[in-house]
Amino acid sequence: MAAQPDPGRSTEQIVSQFLSKALHAILAARIPFIHGPTIPTSRPPRKRDRWFHLALGDPPPALEHPSGLLPNGVMEPLVVDILLSPREDPTMPEAIVERWVAQCEVPAPWSPLHSPAESSSNSFLVKRTYKKSIILLRSIYSVLRLLPAQRVFKMLCASNQSYNYDLTYRVSSFAEPFSRKEEAEFRSHYFSPVETQYGQLAVSVQYRPSLSQFNLEISSLLPPMLITDYVGSPAADPMRTFPASPSERSATRSSISYSFRGSRDGRPSTSAPASAPLFNRPHSWTGAPNEGPSHRAQPAHQPPTGSQRKPTFNFDEFKFSPPFYMSPTPSPPKFSGSYMQSPLRAESAPVSIPQSGTSKVKGLRSPNLSDPTRNFLPPPSPKSARTAEPSSQDSESKSFRKPDGLRISDAYSNMYGTPKGPKDGKDDSGRFSLSGSPRFTFSRSSSRISVPDDLDDPDFSYPFAVDDVDSSDSQARSNDGKEALDFGHASSSHKSQDAAVGELVHMLKTAAPLRDSTYSSQSSKSELQEEGLGSTSSFFMSRMASDALDELQSYKNIKEMLLSQSRAKLHESLRRNN
Amino acid sequence: MNCESCELKELEVEQFEIREALRCILHTIFFHRALGLVRPRDVDCELFELTYVQCGVPEVEKEIEEKINEFITKVSKHPNRRNQICLSFYEMKSKQSAWSSSKTERVYWERWFVNLQIINQRVNTKSKQTRVGLDHGEFTFEEKKLHRSALEASIRENLLRIIKFANEKMDHLPHIPPNVEGISYPYEIAILSSAESSLDILKRMLQTGHQTTLS
Repeated sequence: MAAQPDPGRSTEQIVSQFLSKALHAILAARIPFIHGPTIPTSRPPRKRDRWFHLALGDPPPALEHPSGLLPNGVMEPLVVDILLSPREDPTMPEAIVERWVAQCEVPAPWSPLHSPAESSSNSFLVKRTYKKSIILLRSIYSVLRLLPAQRVFKMLCASNQSYNYDLTYRVSSFAEPFSRKEEAEFRSHYFSPVETQYGQLAVSVQYRPSLSQFNLEISSLLPPMLITDYVGSPAADPMRTFPASPSERSATRSSISYSFRGSRDGRPSTSAPASAPLFNRPHSWTGAPNEGPSHRAQPAHQPPTGSQRKPTFNFDEFKFSPPFYMSPTPSPPKFSGSYMQSPLRAESAPVSIPQSGTSKVKGLRSPNLSDPTRNFLPPPSPKSARTAEPSSQDSESKSFRKPDGLRISDAYSNMYGTPKGPKDGKDDSGRFSLSGSPRFTFSRSSSRISVPDDLDDPDFSYPFAVDDVDSSDSQARSNDGKEALDFGHASSSHKSQDAAVGELVHMLKTAAPLRDSTYSSQSSKSELQEEGLGSTSSFFMSRMASDALDELQSYKNIKEMLLSQSRAKLHESLRRNN
Repeated sequence: MNCESCELKELEVEQFEIREALRCILHTIFFHRALGLVRPRDVDCELFELTYVQCGVPEVEKEIEEKINEFITKVSKHPNRRNQICLSFYEMKSKQSAWSSSKTERVYWERWFVNLQIINQRVNTKSKQTRVGLDHGEFTFEEKKLHRSALEASIRENLLRIIKFANEKMDHLPHIPPNVEGISYPYEIAILSSAESSLDILKRMLQTGHQTTLS
């Protein structure tokens, strides 16, 4: 793609593009947050970047159509006023700190430039015009950094605090001349003009050499905001993504709304509903920045407040917040896709994890799928906690995602076993803990759930830990087998302990009261019989192994008791007979 | 083609200020003479309240840093001399002579002279004199503050001078090669000292055979 204009390219196009680019450079260096994000060096230069060999990035939407900048042609001057607008006191007048004027000055009739050039030299003139325009634009760019307003711009951009002033701008084709007093306060800098076929392209700037009179200071900090939807709050929707800052939120909203407006009628327009399209008015438009952080939460486009401000120009002015882009802040914490799509996430609340070892074993003892809320949750192993951590890509989301991911991952692991973690480790928490739904896990791995490689904690065993058919999971397979064996050994020994506990409880419940032996024996017999019947009936209610053992033990006890009673009766009868 | 030259105002800098001062000036010159496609980058000076623009060409940045390091080394070895950096732009042209075959040679079309006066010793001398006094610390600090302000103003003045010169003198610039990014003309950076500068200029005049216009 040719960097220089073709010989056939008209001077008018060069001038038009030059004015547009100059305006872009001025606004980018004076109006906070109007410029788009920094161009990545890897991005190939776009066509607009190649104009004058100066890549400034994407222009604000207002400058998308340079032809709209000067509807009456390139001979119309472009006047850009940079103003310091008091924020806290709207009644105070704005002050112009810089005035940039760019125009194509028609040469005098007696000037040699007035004579039309021959066609053969037109091409040469166009090339020379373009070359000099490149340097002129560079000079404008450099001078912008050397003027006093640059410091104010940096202050407003760098700080998140709001100042008592804002930098605003006003673009028009006519500027009311300064008074003598004002003129004395300004200095001028004139750039060398560039000869064109239409005259000399001249750029000048009038600026205040000192801005100390404005007493720029911090007006107020960010207003206190009550955050109701903080991370982890009960009111917050866990599926919702949180923006990085209120400024970004409003910036997004504003940029979207502005771009919509821009596309609606093909040219940038103001926000006022009754306002005319931008350039139908006498070639003037104004803009206020997003006015610092304290105002960013407000709607980006407010009704015109021109009535409250001193009219300085003899045409209507429209105030609107210029389009601005999302500030390059870190991306907000986000859940992974699988994490958000998991049905389990929508179904269950975080499950508490018991800390005791017996409770872990308890969970293994009774894998009752029909009752997934039964407390058979093994405690999380250290490695399982690590793998539940979010990816390293989003450092801001780490602290946010970790606890939730950990809890959900444990819920998964406790109910169905933990699925195989991803090999890339890119999004460990979401994928590892919630790689799809449990049903998906089942169907994918043929009702088999693999144990992740890094869950090598010997104390951590799954109720359904089985071998993975995947050849790459050989290590996990060995772990699975080992854990399965451990599961079998542990269960038998633990069953006896549980059975003993159950038996003890039952014995305590069914223990004979401390009464007269005769009465107690008879009553206890009847009671025991009743209780035995009752207990027998209750024994059959539970089908668990522990209950069966309990039953057996209780039968034994009853038997013993009956036998002892019978013996006692026998002795008594024998005594009576004797 | 005439060789335009621009002699900048002499800067009185301390040893630790050399780097920042030279960066400001050299990058600004390059920004106005690297006429290929550039992605400008604003740089805020650490020592001064100045912002200058780099053209974003890594090769240029690297060479500038190397030359600055070389300059600092040379200055430390030969103090109390007028030091100068000369940034020259040229183009290669083949020259045909009657008695020899054609050969390519450098034809300089623009030179920038950056003059620096290192003032470390003078400040130290003054500080030694004021050590006897009770307020020598305040005096030294005040003097340094004044020096810093004056240097900042001088650098700013030089930057504006560069911009003005680059803006005014454009007719001698060669044709910009098409589809070029960054540097559009070959250049060289030479370090001159007070004893060498005039000799070196004379040598170049004899080599190039062009008249050097004095600014």
